[in-house]
Amino acid sequence: MNDPLRWNFDQLVEMAVTGQVSQPALRRGGYVHWPNGVGEMLPGMHGITYNARVGDRAFGWAGDHVEPGVSIAHSEERADYALHYLSCIGNEAEVVTGLARGAQGVVTGEHARLLVDFPPDVLEQMTIGDTVQIRTLGRGLKLESHPGIEFKQTSPALAQALGLRTEGETLTCPVAMELPPRIMGSGAELNAEFVDQDLMSGDRALMAELGIDQMRLGDLIGIRNVDHRYGRSYREGRVAICLCIHGDSVMTGHGPGILTLMTGPADALDFDMDPTANIAHSLGIRGSA
Amino acid sequence: MTQPNTLATNEVDLVAVSVAGVVAHPGFPGLPAEPYRLASDGTPFLLPTYGGIVYNVSTGDRAFGWAADCIHPGVSIHQSDDNRNRGLNVFACIGNRARVMTGGAAGTTGVVTGKSGRFSEQVIVHIPRDARTRMAVGDQLLIRSEGIGLTLTDHPDVSLKGISPGVLAALPAREEDGQIAFGVTAQIPAHLVGAGLGLTSEGGSLHMQSSDRELLAELGLDRLRLGDVVALEDTDSRYNHGYLSGARAIGVVASTDGPRAGYGPGIAILMTAPAGQLGSFESPDANLIHLLELDD
Repeated sequence: MNDPLRWNFDQLVEMAVTGQVSQPALRRGGYVHWPNGVGEMLPGMHGITYNARVGDRAFGWAGDHVEPGVSIAHSEERADYALHYLSCIGNEAEVVTGLARGAQGVVTGEHARLLVDFPPDVLEQMTIGDTVQIRTLGRGLKLESHPGIEFKQTSPALAQALGLRTEGETLTCPVAMELPPRIMGSGAELNAEFVDQDLMSGDRALMAELGIDQMRLGDLIGIRNVDHRYGRSYREGRVAICLCIHGDSVMTGHGPGILTLMTGPADALDFDMDPTANIAHSLGIRGSA
Repeated sequence: MTQPNTLATNEVDLVAVSVAGVVAHPGFPGLPAEPYRLASDGTPFLLPTYGGIVYNVSTGDRAFGWAADCIHPGVSIHQSDDNRNRGLNVFACIGNRARVMTGGAAGTTGVVTGKSGRFSEQVIVHIPRDARTRMAVGDQLLIRSEGIGLTLTDHPDVSLKGISPGVLAALPAREEDGQIAFGVTAQIPAHLVGAGLGLTSEGGSLHMQSSDRELLAELGLDRLRLGDVVALEDTDSRYNHGYLSGARAIGVVASTDGPRAGYGPGIAILMTAPAGQLGSFESPDANLIHLLELDD
């Protein structure tokens, strides 16, 4: 039976934040290293990515940490933190300067920069430095009917698009894939409100065996026995629902970026498999499934 | 003292170089607006953390149960310039001799026992307790850096990371069927490896996780001591730290537990191999205080 979900949408405050389209940047030296040490020079982060979009594959690019769509940042540190912490997945974005002024987009991820999807014809009009404004909404989100579950960076639009179902006290979210906690890596040193935690794809045989190499950008992801409330760590009997926000990496301890959306005890939060559970469809970014 | 091994190495080819640092002052980012850090359950806490001269926590003491967040035992040093600090953090090897060069304890000899990683990046030095009472923040320590470039002649697939020839020779070791195994006090499963994953494995540290206290108690991991040599299962630390089935890393417990998610005791990695070439066996006395006969 599907009990009604009671959200606190009417308590949420909606605010504008802005960022500028970033210029791709590399570290001095430039190489990223495969697990055996071999160095390679690869694109992926920052800027406008024309040909990798939410809904596309997360693995198999000749790139590292490929950020789909447009990556924006703010040059002032504290304003940039506001861009990071206030923006939620599914928030509306609008280009407010340049040739693409007025074009509408959607927040699809938060990495070292904020990731925003725009249609391909809009990308053709955009340039580095264009300002994108986001109507942030979602911080403070609560599901009053299920107080044991905590939400991170989940907009009301996303909350309503996830296909959540209730059965008694338990909330179930459809996900495209489950990940084992032992492969959750880089990002373990950060708080769970900030950016993502990479899955560690260095065990390529395991990636193929579990089908993880079929992951798509924008896939909903379930992980059991992790606690993502304040940091991301192993704890039996807890669950996290996450989102794949960026592509695979060659570097040890890295891989596709997994951003926390929900976390709670296993008797309150559960997931089941739906291969189509991807925000490219559920948020209508690339049409319905 | 544990029976030392006689493993063949390239020790005669190593270059010994000086690196120096000064005793770090404890830092507290965020004060005064936000003095708290958050425990893994969200509880705010305000506790001593890394840096400085620590009078009553030493290598050999327990790693758990202190009212502290990832405390470094003994004395922590750094360089204020990032590039120089990286030189200090990478070139100082566990087991290297350190000497206090300035201040009230000038001339005292100590030993490098650990390092810390992202957000702190200090080198941890054991100095006898009595000498610590004569030291001041800002005193300079000089380290005879020796160990970068060290290899095991008969085990080229084992990558050595920041380990001095002295520590390597002191470790209990067994060679069997081409595999080399070292004595450790504990083996940590891959799902309890935490902060440091994906970050550099040249210098710094890799923390175990400690949020699931019941599991730690069940595995006996909450009895770890500072200076314990431990193995991390299915962990590849050749170039960054990450998961790989069959890989193994061996390191030394360098800092205490803390309340934050992902930040159990910090482990300075000493060696790693990707595919079963490195093993470990139980050796309850595999702790730096015994291996190096450290003075209290």
